[in-house]
Amino acid sequence: MINNNLILIILNTLISLIDVLLVLLPVLLSVAFMTIIERKQLAAHQRRVGPNTVGYYGILQPFSDALKLILKETVIPSQSNKILFYLAPVSTLIFSLLGWGIIPFGQGLTLFDFSLGILYTLALSSLGVYGVLFAGWSANSKYAFLGSLRSTAAMISYELILSSAILIVILLAGSFNFTTIIESQEAIWFVVPLLPVFIFYFISILAETSRTPFDLQEAESELVAGFFTEHSSIIFVFFFLAEYSSIVLFSCITAILFFGGYNMPELFVNNTFISLQAVVLGLKTCVFCFMFVWFRATLPRLRYDQLIEFCWLNLLPVAVAFIILVPCILVAFDIAPY
Amino acid sequence: MDNISMLFIFVPILSLILLALNLLLAPHLPYEAKVSAYECGYVALPGQTRSTFQIQFYLVAILFLVFDLEILLILPIAVSLYQVGTFGFSVAVIFFIVLTIGFVLEIGSGAINISTSANH
Repeated sequence: MINNNLILIILNTLISLIDVLLVLLPVLLSVAFMTIIERKQLAAHQRRVGPNTVGYYGILQPFSDALKLILKETVIPSQSNKILFYLAPVSTLIFSLLGWGIIPFGQGLTLFDFSLGILYTLALSSLGVYGVLFAGWSANSKYAFLGSLRSTAAMISYELILSSAILIVILLAGSFNFTTIIESQEAIWFVVPLLPVFIFYFISILAETSRTPFDLQEAESELVAGFFTEHSSIIFVFFFLAEYSSIVLFSCITAILFFGGYNMPELFVNNTFISLQAVVLGLKTCVFCFMFVWFRATLPRLRYDQLIEFCWLNLLPVAVAFIILVPCILVAFDIAPY
Repeated sequence: MDNISMLFIFVPILSLILLALNLLLAPHLPYEAKVSAYECGYVALPGQTRSTFQIQFYLVAILFLVFDLEILLILPIAVSLYQVGTFGFSVAVIFFIVLTIGFVLEIGSGAINISTSANH
């Protein structure tokens, strides 16, 4: 009896390990390809060739970059706080990878069908701020400290806009669960009734992942490097992976919240062995990844005070106005979801 | 063991594996100039980093606390709007009006105005 139970426990553990690997490995691969897509696409926008030496058309470039960075020496500044200096990049990577646990890739095709999925996502994106704060403070360097202050202020300001946009989506769906939100979009994608909300939602995720119109803490190389000025080799890779993982994750969440997730009515009403739902979600995610890079190639940067004032004086009143307006319509016409 | 706890265990292990790979494979040859703080052309002054910074960053964080709590308090109404109906919604509107008065006061006192206060 005891032996049988033990075998069952081991089998269960193995199966869940395989499940986790089935999600994490494609995620890490997509993060790697996101970096090469960004470089190739930026090159195309500027009519250059881009990286084209490693592998066919340079598609193996991210792997050679990762190998090079793993083999580099880790320089730890002598005046830094050693434990926090390591903890910051590790926690940033962990929090951005954990967000993939509740994404539904198809009907019932998720690691964890959490009834409070939205709250889980919001909590993880808030926790990401700690990595930035720890990194800047522990390095004990002037530039890292200033960079982390600016990053933190920008991230927490735009998080307000992000959570109020998500709140409006919840009002229409009536649930915190991602699967329910996708199912409630079967009639129409939420981007149609909520187009202005989608616009300020997208602005806020650009700022949350500190992409180009809002990347004021580093500004490519004009300022030093923001909060990870002192971080080198593998701990720099952690920040890099976390940034690109959250870009892909937020693209995926955008597709789920506003563009119907894996829903594509004509495509998935079939009983074939291969489920096309995950492919549909992947294609939608690719569109938003493309938009991230497109904005980087197109838009000029704001000034730092403009960044904060744009959030608090322009976006926040609009967001609050929509939080009042949308439930007003729902209550007046008595069309609130059960 | 269910999948999500396996994810919570596996992701930290993955990052520890990467750290260990770097520790095993990379050289480690520090010297004084290499491990000193980043600075542009001269020796970094030790007392410069744990010093004061602009109060505006702190004010933004305080304001964030208030408004984030506001949105968190509205979340339960958002999922139960059908049940609470007009009454629950009008309570939320009163709550918003009070907060908006506070927000206008904050803007008027220049709490968010980074550019002008930097010129003092």
